[in-house]
Amino acid sequence: MAGSAPNLQIHRFPQPKYIDALKWLPPIAAFDRFIVLSLFDPSSDSSSIEIQSLSLSTHSPELHLLSTWPSHSRISCLSVCPFFQKPIIAAASLSGSLHFVVADAIEASIDDGFSVEDKGFHRAGVFSIDLQSSTCECVSAGEDGRINLSKIEGSRVVYGTVFDGKGLVSYTSARWASPWEFATGGLGFGVQFWDQRKPGGPVSQSPAKWIEGSSSGIVHSLDIHPSRKHICVVGGSGGTVFAWDLRWQKQPVMLCGGGTADPMAEGEVWKVQYDHYSQSANPSTQIPPVMMCSDDGILAIVEPGEEEPIELLAEPCAINGFDIDPQNPSDLICHLEWEEIAILMRP
Amino acid sequence: MPGRASESATTALVPFVPEVKEQLVYRLSHGVQTPASSLSISWSRGNSLRVAIFRQPSLESSEEMAGNSGEGDVVELRMGVEDGEIDEVRKRRIAYGSAPAFALLQSRRNLVMASNSFGSSLHSDWWQHVLEYSRHIRDLLGNLKSSPVSVIEDPKALLKSSEKPTSSKAAWELMEFFYVDKLSLSWLPERLVDWLADYDSLLSGTDMTVHSKLASLQKKLVELQFIEDSKEYWEAIASALAVGWLDIVVKLLRLHGSYQLDQIDNREIENGLVEAIAVLVSTMPRMRPELRAGGLGQCFDTKPDFVKAWEKWRGQVAKLDCSAFWVKCDHRQTMDGLKNLLQIMLGNLDDLCAATYQWMELLTSHFLFIRPFTMGLEAMHSLAQKCILLKPTSDGNRLMDLLLGILGDNTEVVLAECSRTFGPWMVVHAIELLTAKSHQAEVVLHEQRYNLGGISIEELHRLVYAQVLSSHALTWQLAPIYLAACPKQGLGLLELLLYKQPMRHNRQILKNIEICRLYELGQIESSIMKIAGMHHWKHGRKGAGIYWLQRAGDEARLNEIAQQLFGLVGKSFSDESFRQWERLIELLGVEGENLGGLEFLHKYRDFKKSLQMIPDDVSIEPSNEKAVNAAVQAVDALILLMKSPSTPQRFWLPLLQDSMKLLNWRHRPLLNVSQTNLLLNKLQELSLARLRPDYCDSDLPHQVLSSIRLALAMNLGRAMIQE
Repeated sequence: MAGSAPNLQIHRFPQPKYIDALKWLPPIAAFDRFIVLSLFDPSSDSSSIEIQSLSLSTHSPELHLLSTWPSHSRISCLSVCPFFQKPIIAAASLSGSLHFVVADAIEASIDDGFSVEDKGFHRAGVFSIDLQSSTCECVSAGEDGRINLSKIEGSRVVYGTVFDGKGLVSYTSARWASPWEFATGGLGFGVQFWDQRKPGGPVSQSPAKWIEGSSSGIVHSLDIHPSRKHICVVGGSGGTVFAWDLRWQKQPVMLCGGGTADPMAEGEVWKVQYDHYSQSANPSTQIPPVMMCSDDGILAIVEPGEEEPIELLAEPCAINGFDIDPQNPSDLICHLEWEEIAILMRP
Repeated sequence: MPGRASESATTALVPFVPEVKEQLVYRLSHGVQTPASSLSISWSRGNSLRVAIFRQPSLESSEEMAGNSGEGDVVELRMGVEDGEIDEVRKRRIAYGSAPAFALLQSRRNLVMASNSFGSSLHSDWWQHVLEYSRHIRDLLGNLKSSPVSVIEDPKALLKSSEKPTSSKAAWELMEFFYVDKLSLSWLPERLVDWLADYDSLLSGTDMTVHSKLASLQKKLVELQFIEDSKEYWEAIASALAVGWLDIVVKLLRLHGSYQLDQIDNREIENGLVEAIAVLVSTMPRMRPELRAGGLGQCFDTKPDFVKAWEKWRGQVAKLDCSAFWVKCDHRQTMDGLKNLLQIMLGNLDDLCAATYQWMELLTSHFLFIRPFTMGLEAMHSLAQKCILLKPTSDGNRLMDLLLGILGDNTEVVLAECSRTFGPWMVVHAIELLTAKSHQAEVVLHEQRYNLGGISIEELHRLVYAQVLSSHALTWQLAPIYLAACPKQGLGLLELLLYKQPMRHNRQILKNIEICRLYELGQIESSIMKIAGMHHWKHGRKGAGIYWLQRAGDEARLNEIAQQLFGLVGKSFSDESFRQWERLIELLGVEGENLGGLEFLHKYRDFKKSLQMIPDDVSIEPSNEKAVNAAVQAVDALILLMKSPSTPQRFWLPLLQDSMKLLNWRHRPLLNVSQTNLLLNKLQELSLARLRPDYCDSDLPHQVLSSIRLALAMNLGRAMIQE
């Protein structure tokens, strides 16, 4: 049913621990490439952030551990932002704390950073964070219904609460659209668009029950195209990927799942991201190709319209997330449920 | 009391023999400083034992101890023996890799069974599916990766430097060629020779083996100048020949001093003899379809061809033995060593015995040089017994016990050895091999047994393995694959397993639900959602709580929640917090769908929303259409609310108070006669209810009540006039 990608190079790297999240790091050295990942060891109940380098010089690529930073609580998500020569890594935890750590380019180490752990920040797990690439401001959304903005100022983190849902709502994902605007997603496939200049509530909100069977859906991931800020692509329960266009707010554009006859994936879609590398088969469409990964082990590129999705991976276990290298968009990393990292290189 | 150690052996059903004779004492470090007053011990997840230690509560020291947090401590103890060969991470990796292969084989079996009209027996080519499965799993157990082949081969490297073989892989391979691979039946002895070549180092950890002999020679090889003078050199060649490592034999022979350029002239005859033996060794006929890479000998597929070549080769060996050149050989050690090799090739039992160390090695040499036609398990088994008599082992080797079980054709023994040595993983996956072609084993393993509670041995082991998997946070998701293959108790155990999973995070909940969906466990699915809903609700995440309870369709709890929410709504439903509530109500979705008592909130939201759109200014012009429309809508919502049985009585008064604006509408009465009557009736009902002892007083003062009554009365009058 789905087309497959030819000449795809796949390298697998088993890890001794469960991988909760992973990201490419902006290049901090000339030749090697770096990834940051958060690991969880259930036997000792400990969590850590690691930086590993990927060397491609040899015939088969290798991953080397460079440095590790222990975390008190389990990391739920990571976000990375280049900051001069030192990329800043933000990590949020399931206990509601947020940590900023700085990756050192020369030493290839992790410098102890700044943390927010007080009760006023988030009272429950933070499910999603996103660093604004130009301002390094961090938006965080949690299941307690809070949306916070945090920033490093001097030697401490200052934060402000944009919205406090007081537990009446839960947010599961957040993503910047511009230095002022961001989008969030939550239960029931609800999507909201916020503008810091208009405080008090979302400026736009998806209607209730707007997708077939949406009462059972949760948004797990959002992405916003840098040049088309009005289109927000959303991935969630039941293999559903859809786009929400702010200009036609009442009706979503279904890309995958959501009651289609022959769904490619049926499990949760854990992550969606615009794929700048693959060419759109139909350049006239508004929505560029989107990459998604699912709990039933599918990594694929979907597009609106009649085009068949392109399946990159079909694993026997869940693919919990992936990241496309912003510098080399042909390459991507994904992390699998069975303690494994896979690196995919497209021709 | 059956099974108790204190009972005499005659009454015990199962004799209880404690495995550990000596008592072991482990020290436990904990943070409680003063003597502990009480201990609580319970099982935690998997093999962890949770020990809670409490300090004696004393009043005087409580202050000084407060900072020390020494009131009590909880320590988790991980029980169990670390397997030296395979660590936990590797074990998990094997478990991950074998589960899809197992699932694929099961689904294929079901397909074959469904398409087979003859009933229970599987197709004759079923073994090929099992072989594919077996090879997949064998690769997981460790790839015998030899280091990259260099262009210039080191002539002195005898043994390939590769990673140490694992005994689980050795056991797996044994079972594979005995039980699965039909093609290997015709050359089983030679397969055992190959097997020994790979795993000889595992036969004994302490005693001498051919492998250890060669390994020690390898170390000395660099130092020895006149290699042929050394006794060890000739012994090692003899040993290697006895177990059929022909390439090593030839390699070692070519290291003989007579090959050296400066000596070849003086030792021409000696060198000729060495070379003649080397040629004989490398042309040895072998009853097998093909050689392994680097192996030596001539292969023969059919027995007649092999017999012909074998006789011819033996003739050549015997002829060389009687050759006249031996007299002219000056070098004593060379002559003795070479003569010994000839005796081995001729199958002299004494020399074979002397050249081998373990009975398995002796058995292999039998296959090679004495009885190359040994076929059938029975013949092999009796031969093995003979070899054991000649070479008794001091310590029982587990691999050898397994081999004896296989040769003895005893499925139960094989399973017991697998279980004892390699644990539940091996048993579950090896059962597929045992039943690949043997009908008898299938009967033994699939038979339902009364003493196992009506399940088969196969199912028992799958259940055990599933338990092992479910005891670890990362592998429990594999357990359903094995439980699904248990026809009797699998689903029951799966339900229990799902109930026991933690529900702290959405990801875990969604995973559990996904498993329920796959195995069609609708009831469990809704239970999980209910548990998740209550968990979120209890932790103050009302939205998430309602979300999960709605998905579960739990009307009883939603009603209960609605009652609680009414309390909150009555107090805090000010315009300020309305925005937050709105999102929650939005989530509740369209009316009438799994809403329970929350339906009220939904209508109340509509009512409030309409009310908010009406400006507070009383003198609204009738031309202000927007405000009038909103007011009309608010009236509709109010009537709906008042009519609805789900609106609790205690909300009537606050609702009426909220709608004063509507009742006092200046330009025309917004409510008609019947509507006003309805409200008046409700008000009357309320006044009566106030007299009842169980009435809970709402905060509204009496004055409000009378002003509402007045407004209603006025409205009624105006409505009557208008009508």
